[in-house]
Amino acid sequence: MSAMNQPLGQTWVQKATGPVLWKWIGRALLVVGAVVLVLFPLSPSMSAQNTVILALVFAISASGLNIITGYAGYLSLGQGAFLGIGAYTGAILSRAFPDVSPFAWVPIGGVVAAIFAVLLGLVTYRTRGAAFVIITIAFTLLVQFIARNWDPVTNGSTGITLPLPDWPRELGNWPFHLVLVALLAASLLMSWWIRRTKFGTGLIAIREDEGKAGTIGINAPVYKLLAFGLSTIFVGMAGAVYGYYLTYVDPIGMFAIMQSLLIVLAVILGGRGSLWGPVLGAFLLIPINDWANTVFSGGNFRLVILGALLVLLILLLPAGVLPSLEKLRDRLHTRGTVGLSGKRLDFDAAITTAPVSRPVDPDKPLLEVRGLVKSFGANRAVDGATFTVPEGSITALIGPNGSGKTTVFNLISGVMTPDAGEIVFDGKPIGRTAPWTRAHHGIGRTFQITRLFKEMTVLENVVAPLRDFEFRQLGSGAVSGAEAKRAEELLHFVGVAEYKDVPAHALSYGQQKLVELAQVLILEPKLIMLDEPAGGINPTLIERMGELIRELNRQGTTFLLVEHNMPFVLGLCDPIRVLARGAVIAEGSPDAIQKDPLVLDAYLGDDFMLEGESKTQSVPTLGEGER
Amino acid sequence: MRKPALIRSTVAVAALAAGALALGGCAADAPSGDGSTTETITIGTSLPLTGDFSQGGENTLQGYEVWKAIVNENGGLLGQQVEFNVVDDGSDQNTIVSDYNYLIGEAKVDLVLGSQSSRLNIAASAIAEREGYVYICPSCASPDMFNRGFSMIFFSQQATAAEQGTAFAEWILGLPDDQRPATAAYPALDDPFSAPVAAGVQAILEEAGIETVYSDVYPEDLTNFDTIATAVRDSGAELVVQGAQFQDGVNFVRSLNRVGYAPKILYQSSSPTYGEQYLEGVGAENAEGVFFSASYTAYADTPGNAEFLAKYHELYGDQDPPEDAADGYAAAQVLQAAVEAVGSIDDQQALADWLHSNTVQTILGPISWNADGTPNGVFLIGQWQGGTAQIVFPAEAATTDTVISTWRG
Amino acid sequence: MIAFLQALILGLLIGAVYALMASGLTLIFGVMRVVNLAHGAFAILAAFLTWTLWSALGIDPLLSIPIVVVAMFVIGWLTYQGTVRFVRGSHMSTSVLLTFGIGLLLEGIMGFIWGNRSHTARTGYTDASLQIGDMFLPVAQLISAGIAVIVIVLLWLVLSRTWQGRAIRAASVNDSAAKIVGVNAQKVSAFTFGLGIATLGAGGAMIAVIYPFVPGQHDQWIARLLAIVVLGGLGSLPGAVIGALIVGVGESMATAYIGAAWPVAIPFLVIFIVLLVRPQGIMGTRLREDAVA
Repeated sequence: MSAMNQPLGQTWVQKATGPVLWKWIGRALLVVGAVVLVLFPLSPSMSAQNTVILALVFAISASGLNIITGYAGYLSLGQGAFLGIGAYTGAILSRAFPDVSPFAWVPIGGVVAAIFAVLLGLVTYRTRGAAFVIITIAFTLLVQFIARNWDPVTNGSTGITLPLPDWPRELGNWPFHLVLVALLAASLLMSWWIRRTKFGTGLIAIREDEGKAGTIGINAPVYKLLAFGLSTIFVGMAGAVYGYYLTYVDPIGMFAIMQSLLIVLAVILGGRGSLWGPVLGAFLLIPINDWANTVFSGGNFRLVILGALLVLLILLLPAGVLPSLEKLRDRLHTRGTVGLSGKRLDFDAAITTAPVSRPVDPDKPLLEVRGLVKSFGANRAVDGATFTVPEGSITALIGPNGSGKTTVFNLISGVMTPDAGEIVFDGKPIGRTAPWTRAHHGIGRTFQITRLFKEMTVLENVVAPLRDFEFRQLGSGAVSGAEAKRAEELLHFVGVAEYKDVPAHALSYGQQKLVELAQVLILEPKLIMLDEPAGGINPTLIERMGELIRELNRQGTTFLLVEHNMPFVLGLCDPIRVLARGAVIAEGSPDAIQKDPLVLDAYLGDDFMLEGESKTQSVPTLGEGER
Repeated sequence: MRKPALIRSTVAVAALAAGALALGGCAADAPSGDGSTTETITIGTSLPLTGDFSQGGENTLQGYEVWKAIVNENGGLLGQQVEFNVVDDGSDQNTIVSDYNYLIGEAKVDLVLGSQSSRLNIAASAIAEREGYVYICPSCASPDMFNRGFSMIFFSQQATAAEQGTAFAEWILGLPDDQRPATAAYPALDDPFSAPVAAGVQAILEEAGIETVYSDVYPEDLTNFDTIATAVRDSGAELVVQGAQFQDGVNFVRSLNRVGYAPKILYQSSSPTYGEQYLEGVGAENAEGVFFSASYTAYADTPGNAEFLAKYHELYGDQDPPEDAADGYAAAQVLQAAVEAVGSIDDQQALADWLHSNTVQTILGPISWNADGTPNGVFLIGQWQGGTAQIVFPAEAATTDTVISTWRG
Repeated sequence: MIAFLQALILGLLIGAVYALMASGLTLIFGVMRVVNLAHGAFAILAAFLTWTLWSALGIDPLLSIPIVVVAMFVIGWLTYQGTVRFVRGSHMSTSVLLTFGIGLLLEGIMGFIWGNRSHTARTGYTDASLQIGDMFLPVAQLISAGIAVIVIVLLWLVLSRTWQGRAIRAASVNDSAAKIVGVNAQKVSAFTFGLGIATLGAGGAMIAVIYPFVPGQHDQWIARLLAIVVLGGLGSLPGAVIGALIVGVGESMATAYIGAAWPVAIPFLVIFIVLLVRPQGIMGTRLREDAVA
């Protein structure tokens, strides 16, 4: 929901589509829906009860899937398999212990499913994108194969039958129904809780931009593992109830890809990433599924309907029903108003004190890079680069386009691994550690083309980073408490505090750069790497950037800049490293660099005339031949 | 612009759907066909008309339709015309569960008949049992169908899977020493019906000393049997007993040809019962001498068979009715017998009780049941001879005295 | 020994047909980063078209391949223009789900048109085989493998010798750079999709002769084809060929030496092992990770 400048007096459309109004309407609808749902077995229609029970099972599965697919953005076509695993667990145990009610096995069904999920997560620790989807398909087939062939345990393709319910007929479906409703409530509660914790923002960060998430300290593989496990625990339980309801489990019915598809379709229809979307999706989809079957009597018709629905959804309504409705409401509500992004930034305010102070030893190199090599196929982008960044300095890395500057940055921040060479930070070699570990050590970086998490608000973007990794932290509230306060202070510091509830994609480029800087600052890094901080922004903002950098540096933060804006660099930085064709060709103070013939030849040009004053320091420079 | 309009219509759809759900839940299932007050009796059934079992499902439906035609021509059931409410389950278990919930709960049918294939029937029968409806299934031969303590289920063929090859096994054992095969191979389809048939025969033959040189189960989606045929060839088995459903049996025979191997005696549990389709699939010369288990033969002098054949030819043409059609007809016959004996359709328990204590004469022969719903009877063994599917054992039911001793003559 | 050779040869023969079918899948992924989960369904569609030509007009299935190939090209091209075009370039999951939906649609439509019973085109040579000593070589598979090799070579020539082919390879390596040198990415993608489906069509025609097929079978096929392209390396044509041969032989050996239930395990075992041990497959290359759009 966007804040906006309100013209005097709202139109009726705006009043009718106000966010608060709709929040209450939504709540009212929910209460009504919940009451209808809980009391549904009162309905005299047995087949409607059956539909609702199936819808509940799929709603629980969809709500679970939402965690790994909706929040974290990893499409899993294997959710049906976990439902089946839960069902089989219940069936196997009830066959082994015929005197115990199958309901007793429901929790175990959840645990077993979660264990399988964690194992699968370990197997897919570093897989992403297409590979991940393919593996989930393979997993479903694998489980089906095991169920079909491990006769002693699963009874093979014959399947396992469960006893009929042992309660009086008058109770009807109430036990099944109530257990499923409880599971759905628990699943939604967990989903809601995840969303508002740091764990949840971390997952969404992973979805929006996994690479970026790594650089702000989010350990994607561990998050994925947790998400995967959590996404299946209630699904496994629902599966155990489902198997009992059907009184029969067999490999073909329980592990068909179609089952996974229905669950995915429910999530997409309702709206992935939203809390209620998957539930709505399931309750829309299951009746459609039933209707397609009974009314038109044909498995083929059902396939056509489901296939067409999926295709149309992807092409026309990819966000799903609920998010699209929300966007529509928002669009109607803010029509004709002016967004905040057009507003001029106000830089008259003085800079408040920088966040963190730390001692500095200028003789010690905070960062050392030695002999870095990185090739892409035949292209040697970085060819033996060696330089240091003294602690407490503002060091610049300049050079022509294609000299390998961004690649060096990527190598230092951990987005890529070098083919050869070492990187030593604060005395520790970090050449082979993961990006998030480097962030935890104290390296922060910004990107030339800003990489914010577009769907999150500015505040959420700034609270997303993790200074270090503790499980306890994951459960803490994301946008409340001490973290949020800190984030707001930082937003103040960089000057975009007004925008804290604006979704990041609504900001202008310059504003995004400031937010990215705040994101990095919350990590309290020792070294901040800025990739073209002065690029693409207006002069006032450039000046502001310079002031921010100076203030932070005064308090002890070391900077490494890549920049093309020579006045900016020469007025701010000392020492300077010049990179050309993948190697450092000159180092020294701004004055020395300006006069170095190699630098003039490779980059600045013979006719380079400096207009501003350059900054000189007494840091000893390295001349040629001393590298 | 396109988008807002679409969103608006989505809202409309969503609202409608939610409304429909609520209404559907509140509306009592519309009563229809309440037996005693209306003129027709409705029988509900779900069949696999599409999907993996569609062949069998369609054939079973033919059987039901033939029965309906005959009954209605003769004044109906208890004086009322019979109607069927048929739903397609697409060979999918979850669907069949919904289907029977729909038939019993919403469409409120008077009686139900079962589906085709053990997998589907196992799931569906639980609903009928829960709701107290008699459930007669034309093809649910898997032993797992009957080990749940249900009291309302009845299998309307002569024997369950494990017994269906018994008469054939006994014939093998009865052969003179120089003709009896010494080795046997048992490839079988991995499903609740076919595998037990082969296993049943294997148990009998192994105990009598016939060596098993190959035994394996293959999955349903296997279509290329060349490697299996090679393995069978390499084993040198003189007798091949295949637990086959339909297409797999056809493919296996074709692979045997490609591999260039012909066992002395070939038995396939179900494939050869598909009449013309089987003949066309394997080719007439390859069908010659193939043994199979059957519940039905068109040449038997069983009650109602003549009528059944006549009506079948009238509705569906000159070819012999496939086994599934006859099984469907027999299931309906069983239901009819119970209803007519009890005299009403209101008390399903009475129908069940009657069936437990009586024998029904069907076109498959006489069938009676044990307490668990399994039938007491002897399954027929047939053999393709000269383009005709004859019954060869047991002697009482045999339609010919000839038995071709080797495959392909 | 003979049994081993027999299994090997059977595996290679069927592997050639697999290679033909997988070539389209890997090509489509290479150029537009789309994992076409409808690939199996298109294969079955081609089989149905072939069967229809055979049963209605009596044309031998293998002779009808040119017709089927052209028809499938058009179908593929139209499918691209109608649906895939709009999701090109978006998140991986979008195209995966879209193509999955297309696969389902196709399955349902095929069921409507042709029914769900299994079909085969039974020609004179369907059951024939060439006997060499103790081994047999099924004639239908021999001819199919031969045609498959020819078509793959043709495909290779198109990709390496013609301008269109070079355009395809350029677009698969670097979209934006390709645009700069005059390659129209949309046209190339449409053409590639059509081409991928066309080569698949040739494979599908062979299936009509070798196997009985039903619409619902496309699940099995897509698992197998995915395994092949993952093994070979997504986007690599030689990789697809090698992967297909390995999978074909693997299935054959599994049936011969382990048990008839095991060939279905080969596809997903391959997927797991490859994605764990060497995710880029045999011949794939790692994408440059920092590629900015």
